[in-house]
Amino acid sequence: EGYTSFVLVELATGYTLFERISSEEIGQNLEDVQKSITDFSRFQKIIKLKSFAPFRSAAHALENAMDVSEGIMNAHLKAFLELNLAKAGKKQKVILGVGEATLGGAIKEGLGYDCQVNDVFRELIRGIRMHSEKLLSQLKEGDLSRAQLGLGHAYSRSKVKFNVNRVDNMIT
Amino acid sequence: GKAGAKGGAKVVIEPHRHQGVFIARGKEDMLCTKNLVPGESVYGEKRISVDNADGTKTEYRVWNPFRSKIAAGILGGLDNIHIVPGAKVLYLGAASGTSVSHVADIVGPTGLVYAVEFSHRPGRELINMAKKRTNVIPIIEDARHPHKYRMLVGMVDVIFADVAQPDQARIITMNAHLFLKNEGHIVISIKANCIDSTVEAPTVFAREVKKLQEDQVKPQEQLTLEPYERDHAIVVGQYRAPKKSKSA
Repeated sequence: EGYTSFVLVELATGYTLFERISSEEIGQNLEDVQKSITDFSRFQKIIKLKSFAPFRSAAHALENAMDVSEGIMNAHLKAFLELNLAKAGKKQKVILGVGEATLGGAIKEGLGYDCQVNDVFRELIRGIRMHSEKLLSQLKEGDLSRAQLGLGHAYSRSKVKFNVNRVDNMIT
Repeated sequence: GKAGAKGGAKVVIEPHRHQGVFIARGKEDMLCTKNLVPGESVYGEKRISVDNADGTKTEYRVWNPFRSKIAAGILGGLDNIHIVPGAKVLYLGAASGTSVSHVADIVGPTGLVYAVEFSHRPGRELINMAKKRTNVIPIIEDARHPHKYRMLVGMVDVIFADVAQPDQARIITMNAHLFLKNEGHIVISIKANCIDSTVEAPTVFAREVKKLQEDQVKPQEQLTLEPYERDHAIVVGQYRAPKKSKSA
């Protein structure tokens, strides 16, 4: 009690924020959550969409993908979180589950939220990724993979382009 | 270039036991996949055009087991490659995309291949191949850091890996934890001397299998790739396999 917990999931189509809700049927432990993600009707009982902010354009998506990849909370992500979460330090404490620790650290530093990376949040993120098209009514089937395709090309082109002077990126 | 194996050569195409894979029966049998982009080769491979009963044509591309570990695994007799029409595949170690293009043919227009390659030179070729095969999403990024490309990838049915790195088991399971569905499969190519050149290949394979087991992958098949590759094995396993009841 005394806190609400949310999960941030970054998709090719935009940022999504989900609220974790308690359920009598599905406990809070890892194994229960793990089992629930395969079944959408069960998963729906523990997660609720708080907000979805679609990217404005392909360029906007690329800019955000590059920042997320580097663990940077840019102005757009910061505004999205501020708009949807109560200010840190208020009575009701906010716990924010994130997929990766560097970004979590940047959010904590910038906005003060208690950002957590743990097995339960990881599992919830798997579930959200798994059922994203059903959870986000704005998305039609195929929208997400089309966005991934465009973003994958843009991201990869930019990676190759910014390295023209290097002979190769050898993995050693 | 012009399609090979033409000019009156009598070739009959038969479906292979694995869905989406075919065998061209001619003077010698050849493994092939149905060309997703008819009229073009990807890396100079031969193409075979077949007249259908309704007057249309279907084109196939010959798949060389000396150039692709999946093809070698199929010819070696793998029970199940799990790469089937409609499947979503995360392909780690995509290189310039020659093998990836055949995987794209197999999964077809309803499937998807997320192709990850870190080296920029082959990466450029991969991007170019993917321009024509719109079911391939190129990802020029380090497979060791799957978080970096989490915005580009959805949940997948299969992970295929040919990364030839000493820590490849870890690379694969890290990707599985993020992107592989419960009960999904991994198919990996293991090159013994890339992992440890000081011990015998079978020892290396056994150790890698053990590492996978420790990370929720249940091994199902193991096959060496002789005569196509030396000291190589393909291992197939299931991620978060359903638990059998103990009474059984």
